[in-house]
Amino acid sequence: MALRFAGDFDTTYAHDMAVIRNRGQWALTIAFLVALFGLPFVASGEILGMINLIGISIVAVQGLNILVGYTGQISLGQAAFMSVGAYTSAVLVKGGVPFWFALPIAGLVAGLVGLLFGLPSLRIKGFYLAMATLAAQFIIPWFFRNVRADLFGGMPGLRVAPPTLGSLVFNSQETMYFPIIGTVVVCTIIAKNIARTRLGRALVAIRDNDLAAEVLGIQQFAYKLRAFFLCAFYAGLAGSLWAHYARAINPEQFSLVQSVWYLGMVIVGGMGSALGPILGTTFVRLLDEFTIQFSPMLSKIFPEAEANMLAALGPIVFGLALMLFLVFEPRGLAHRWELLKAAWRLRPFAH
Amino acid sequence: MNRIIVLIALVVLVASVLMACAPAPTPTPVPPTKAPEPTKAPQPTVAPTKAPEPTKAPEPTKAPEPTKAPEPTKPSLRTKANAGEKITLFHFGDITGPYAGITTPLVGGFTDGVKWLNGKGGIRGAEVTIEWADTAGKLENAISTYNRFREKKPLIIQLYGSAETEALRDRLAEDKIPVMTAGVSAKGSYPPGYVYAVVPIYSDQFGLFIDWLAANWSKVKPAKGQNPDTPTVAIVTWDTSYGLGALTDESKAYAEKKGVKVVAQERFTMGAPDVTTQILAAKKAGANVIYTNTLAHGPAQILKDAVSLGVRDEFLIAGDNWAMDLSMLALASTASEGFYGVLPNLYWDDTTHAGIKEIEAQFKANNRKPAEHSVGYLLAFAFVDAMRAYIEKTIDRVGFDALTGAAVNETMAASGELKVMDGVITLDFGKDKRAPSKARIVQVQKGKFVPVTDWLTAPDLRPK
Repeated sequence: MALRFAGDFDTTYAHDMAVIRNRGQWALTIAFLVALFGLPFVASGEILGMINLIGISIVAVQGLNILVGYTGQISLGQAAFMSVGAYTSAVLVKGGVPFWFALPIAGLVAGLVGLLFGLPSLRIKGFYLAMATLAAQFIIPWFFRNVRADLFGGMPGLRVAPPTLGSLVFNSQETMYFPIIGTVVVCTIIAKNIARTRLGRALVAIRDNDLAAEVLGIQQFAYKLRAFFLCAFYAGLAGSLWAHYARAINPEQFSLVQSVWYLGMVIVGGMGSALGPILGTTFVRLLDEFTIQFSPMLSKIFPEAEANMLAALGPIVFGLALMLFLVFEPRGLAHRWELLKAAWRLRPFAH
Repeated sequence: MNRIIVLIALVVLVASVLMACAPAPTPTPVPPTKAPEPTKAPQPTVAPTKAPEPTKAPEPTKAPEPTKAPEPTKPSLRTKANAGEKITLFHFGDITGPYAGITTPLVGGFTDGVKWLNGKGGIRGAEVTIEWADTAGKLENAISTYNRFREKKPLIIQLYGSAETEALRDRLAEDKIPVMTAGVSAKGSYPPGYVYAVVPIYSDQFGLFIDWLAANWSKVKPAKGQNPDTPTVAIVTWDTSYGLGALTDESKAYAEKKGVKVVAQERFTMGAPDVTTQILAAKKAGANVIYTNTLAHGPAQILKDAVSLGVRDEFLIAGDNWAMDLSMLALASTASEGFYGVLPNLYWDDTTHAGIKEIEAQFKANNRKPAEHSVGYLLAFAFVDAMRAYIEKTIDRVGFDALTGAAVNETMAASGELKVMDGVITLDFGKDKRAPSKARIVQVQKGKFVPVTDWLTAPDLRPK
C-alpha cells in the first residue's frame, strides 16, 4: 500500500512477495500504527465518533469487496448479514458471554447464514444473483421482527450492553475506538492477504472468466461459497461492533438502502483492492457528514429561506458530488492512489 | 538522501494530521461566582484550668462559650445573563427522509420560536441561538450528530424520531443531557432517564382511545360494521418502531380488560401506495375499528383505500396524534370526514386561544408558506418556549453559573405540569413520569379537527 521509490529492486522471491518490503516501509507502517492507536489520546470525541462509524462500515465493506471486487458476485444483503452478527452478539452478551468471544461467534453465525444465501450462485449470476441475495434483505429482518420476540425483542429490538474488560467499560468514543479500529486493522490485513493466496487467485479467476477458471480445475461453486462466507463473516463482525457501539438494535437499522450504500462504497473506493473499501467508506461517510451540516449552514446564511428547500438541498449536494466523482474517477479512489504511487515510483528519475 | 527527506516529510505530515485532529482549545470558562466561605467559628478555649493539688480545687474556670459560627452567607445566584452571553438550543432529526412530510416544518417553527424568544429578551437576557442537523432518518447520522453536539455540552436537545431516541437514551444518561422528544415510544421514554416525551407515549394514547371507545361505543359504532355489539380493533400500521408503538403487551391487556378486542395487527411499509390488502385482512378478522400509529400520509392512505373498497362505513378509523395534521386532510380529502384521533395539543383551529394566536401572528410575520402551516411548525414553536421555561426554572434554582444539562434534568424531573404558551401543549413530568397523560379525542368534521371530548387522562401503560 505504501509508496515505493526508484532503485528499490526485488532481489529475492520473498522480497517480491512481501507487502512491506524495506525498512522505510516498516518504519512508516509502525509510525502509522502508533499514530492510529494514539489518536484517542489527542482527538476530540466528535472526530473519534466519526472514525468509529467509518471503521464499522469499513469492516462490512471490506467483506463485500471480497465477494464483489475479487469474485465478481453481487450481493444486496450485506446489511441483513450485519443484522445477524448484531443480534447474535447481543443475545450472547445478554446470556453472559463476553463480547470478545461473541464478536468472532457473530462473524461465524453470519458467515453460515451467508453460505445459505450464496447457494443460488451455483445456478445464477449477475442481476439474477443480486435479486436472489435481495431475499436475504427481506427474510432476515422479518425473522428478527417476528420470531422469538422474547429473545430478539421484536420490532422495538434489544438494548445492548457495552463491551467490558475487567473493570473497564467500553462505553465512550475513546474506548470503543480500540476494538473497532483493532478489528479494522485485522480484517484489512486478512483481506489483503486473502488476495495473495490460492483462494484469492481462484476468486479473481472466477471473476475474470468463470468458464476458464472451471477448466483450470477451480471448483466454482466451492469458491463462490467461500466468498459468500467471508463476505457475511465480515458483515457479522461489523454487525457485532455496531450493536455494542450503538447499544440499541432493531431490524429497521439494517435496511436495503444501507446494503446499496455498501455497494456504492465498494465502487467509489475501487473494487478488488483492500485499500478501496477504506477510501470509499471514508469518502462517502465524510460526504454524508458534510451533507448533514450543509442545510443548517445554509440556514445561517439565508435565515429567511424556506425550511423545505434547505432540507432538500443536503441530499441533492450529496447525490451531485457522488455523481461527479463517478464520472471523473470511475475506477475508484484506489486507482487514483495507484497512479500516485506509480508517479512516485519513478522519482527522482521521472524521465 | 531523497528517501530520508521523503520519510521526514511523511512523519511531519502524520504529526500535522494528528495536531489537526486535536480538540480545539476551549475558551476559558468564566469561573462561577463562588459562595463566600462561611466565617469559621473560633475554637473554643479547651480545658478548664486544673486545680493545684492538694489545695482544694477552686471552681474550674469555665471555658468561655464557643463563639457561634455566623450563618454561612447564602450565595446570591446570578439569574441574569452577562452581556453577550448565549444559550444554544440543539435539535436534530429526520428532516429529510420518510418522515419529512411532518418533520420539515419543525425547522421553521423552531427558528421562528427562537426569533420570537430573542425578541422578548431571550432567556434571562442571554441571546438564544440554534444548532440543528438533518439526520435523514439514518441512525449513523443521528449518532454522529449527537457526538458533535455533546462536545458543546448542551443544556437540552430536542429530538423527533423514535428510533434515534431509543438508540441514544443510554448515552444521554451517561452524558447527563436531557432531551425532549417527539418520538414517544414506550421503549425510548421508560425506564425514567434523561428522555422526556412531549406527548403521551403511543401505548398510553391507544389506551386513552380504548377508554373513549368502550364508553361511547353505542354512539360511535360504524353504521354497517360487523360484530356491532363489541368494539373489535385491528391495528393497521407501519412496520417500524414508531408504527408498532401503540400495541404493547400492556395496551393489549388493557384493551381486553375494557372489553375491547384487538384481533389483528396488519403492517405496511412507509409510503405504500395501497393498503387494501391490510384493510380486507382487518375485515376478515372481524374488526369494526381500525387504529393506525402513523404520520399523516398513513391514515390518508387507509381512508382513501377504505372508500375505494366501499367499506368506509364498516369501520371507525382512528389514529395517534401525528396522524392529526393538515397534510392528512389534504391527502385524504373528503375521505377524511369522520376520522378520529388522539390530540394532546391545541391546534391551529383554536383561533381564540392566546398561545395559538401568538404563533399564528409569528407565522405570518415570518412570511411562512402555507405548506409549513402544520402540526410540526406549531409544536416546534411551543418546544422552544418549553425549553425556555425549564432553563429559566433551573437558573432560578442553581444560578446561571451552575447551569448544566444535569441541572436542567433535575428541574424537569421535578417540574410537574407545565402549560406551554398557555396550554398549546401541556407537559407533565415527575420523578418516575416522563410523558404527559392528557389528550382529547377529536374528529374531522367539515375539514377541521373538532374536539368531541373534554381533556381525558390516559391510562398509565408504560412497560413493566
